[in-house]
Amino acid sequence: MSDMTAPAKRSLFTPDRLMDKRKAAEKRFRFYGLAAVVLSIAVLIFMLVSIAAQGWTAFTQAKLSFPITLDASKLDPKGNRNIEEMKKITTLTYNKVLGQGFADAMKAKGIQIDALTDKELAVLVSKDAAADIRNRVLADPALLGTTIMADVFASGRIDGYLKGRVTMASAANDSNISPAQLQLADRLRDAGILKAGFNWTFLTNPDASDQRPEAAGIGVGLIGSAYMMLLVLIMSVPIGVSASIYLEEFAPKNRWTDLIEVNISNLAAVPSIVYGVLGLALFINTAGLPQSSSLVGALVLTLMTLPTIIIATRSAIKAVPPSIRDAALGIGASKMQTVTHHVLPLAMPGILTGTILGLAAALGQTAPLLLIGMVAFVDNYPSLPVGGVMDPATALPVQVYTWTQRSDPAFIERSSGAIIVLLIFLLTMNALAIFLRRKFQTRW
Amino acid sequence: MKDIHYEERKVGMTGVKVAARDVQVYYGDNHAIKDVSVDILSKTVTAFIGPSGCGKSTFLRCINRMNDTISICRVEGSITLDGEDVYDPKIDPVRLRATIGMVFQKPNPFPKSIYDNVAYGPRIHGLARGKAELDEVVESSLKRAALWNEVKDRLDAPGTGLSGGQQQRLCIARAIATGPEVLLMDEPCSALDPIATAQVEELIDELRANYTVVIVTHSMQQAARVSQRTAFFHLGSLVEYGETSAIFTNPSDPRTESYISGRIG
Repeated sequence: MSDMTAPAKRSLFTPDRLMDKRKAAEKRFRFYGLAAVVLSIAVLIFMLVSIAAQGWTAFTQAKLSFPITLDASKLDPKGNRNIEEMKKITTLTYNKVLGQGFADAMKAKGIQIDALTDKELAVLVSKDAAADIRNRVLADPALLGTTIMADVFASGRIDGYLKGRVTMASAANDSNISPAQLQLADRLRDAGILKAGFNWTFLTNPDASDQRPEAAGIGVGLIGSAYMMLLVLIMSVPIGVSASIYLEEFAPKNRWTDLIEVNISNLAAVPSIVYGVLGLALFINTAGLPQSSSLVGALVLTLMTLPTIIIATRSAIKAVPPSIRDAALGIGASKMQTVTHHVLPLAMPGILTGTILGLAAALGQTAPLLLIGMVAFVDNYPSLPVGGVMDPATALPVQVYTWTQRSDPAFIERSSGAIIVLLIFLLTMNALAIFLRRKFQTRW
Repeated sequence: MKDIHYEERKVGMTGVKVAARDVQVYYGDNHAIKDVSVDILSKTVTAFIGPSGCGKSTFLRCINRMNDTISICRVEGSITLDGEDVYDPKIDPVRLRATIGMVFQKPNPFPKSIYDNVAYGPRIHGLARGKAELDEVVESSLKRAALWNEVKDRLDAPGTGLSGGQQQRLCIARAIATGPEVLLMDEPCSALDPIATAQVEELIDELRANYTVVIVTHSMQQAARVSQRTAFFHLGSLVEYGETSAIFTNPSDPRTESYISGRIG
């Protein structure tokens, strides 16, 4: 046994090894925490900067503007302005009209075309241009015979040259473009025919084929994602919240409810692609819903989001102090009144947070959508709701995925651009959630 | 031992409001209340005293069936309100609780305005027709709870923003707004400072004129101050029940005496 005499008085200023060790440990711990935060912020900034650096160019696009004369004898040989007959004129003819206009414009401005053939000249213009002019004519046959400004996309390579992606050196090794064509592009730019401008069509156009990266846009993906988010919200919140209320407030606490609780947590951890397989089997093969439709996508994402919403809602309901329930029951409110008048309003901020987290995860999902066919090339816009949810559509993250698979580097900038739009979509949703939460919380 | 306290009513002057007979309460396998029989007299303040865990709060919560919300809790025996069995399957506990109001240990106003706190009960029970009538109920309830003068200018302010004592009086106002006959109070002053406690005690004394009040308290001084009758609970049994003055000056059971003199509890 140690001696029981009182310990000698020690000054608080005497150094203490144990104290020093404790202080060092605390310092180390603080450093680790700070390092982790700094590291994550650095990675986040790196990610945002690299996406922005690669993606911002997707929002500008090189365009060629020159006058073309829409020769009625070529575009409407019978001269009766019959739309059905005009539709028989293919883009080949329009290409010739376009090529003629382009050549004339260069001649008028005195631009030397060196030894470039007509075919090599046509490479500068997007393959989308002829179809664009054709659509304009079919929409308004009165244009025939007049001279209009052909405000058409330059080809992806020329666009890349203006953005610095394509250089003289790379063009020397490129079978699609030659340095001579790039020099011509320089002259066209000096003459004001070739210009870069803000690219609204990136936001509105549907996807385009491999040969026309300049015409590809995220329009269908935006509509598809918006439809799906709306449907997921409409379906998952009522189901999720009522399931949570039942489990938390009404269900007896027994082995079955324990089992359900464990399985809800398990479902939240199921890989999303499994939900895709389920959706394919259940909604497409069994229920016969149309493939690639936003409805099936939304159903799959709803199944995926439900566990998140249920878990968040249950913990929000649990966090409502029992004294509030006692108070309501104590003055003779029924169970349902207690829940709807007191518990739900107090749990609302938590429910909203969970819902937004779930929706944000659903918005970014790609894998399950691939399995239900939303990866398909969709050229037509889905129509307006309600019917539009049955139309084929794609989703923003799927569009990103599709574009990264394409060989033309012009699609890389587009996928980064689509990521930027996706992030803005996400930030808008989060901002809305924060706004709603504030609004509910100010009701004490 | 079997309690015989209910026989006292033959000599009592006032009628019996709540009568309990052989009440047993089980929490799962735990026998929390054993053979409690007691008559609670109308327009009287009855205090339940006893050491922590003796079952006084549990018994209190049996009277308005708040124990129904605890799934493992089982109540046997009978409790009647004016001769009607409150545990009869045909009785709706929701209606019962409007008749037997309850005030809890911790002030628990709703996170709503003072007005809405008091108006909530009358609203859900449809006790007031129109805004004017509701205003009247709110005003009279707040007046009875001795809170009107302090809050009449800020009825729209949040109830949670009041001081602890005011919150508890707000809870009392809320409880009496539904027009109950009995008020159950579960240690209503344990979270309050001495001044707020004094105000609430004064209020309880005034409430006696219109309501039958049952109060659970840990403070024997409080029981002595506010109650006319006192019941002493120990280990789930009702040990002694009678006139407060008699219990405190001349307890008949040695356990009561040890408790009030501070030797157990």
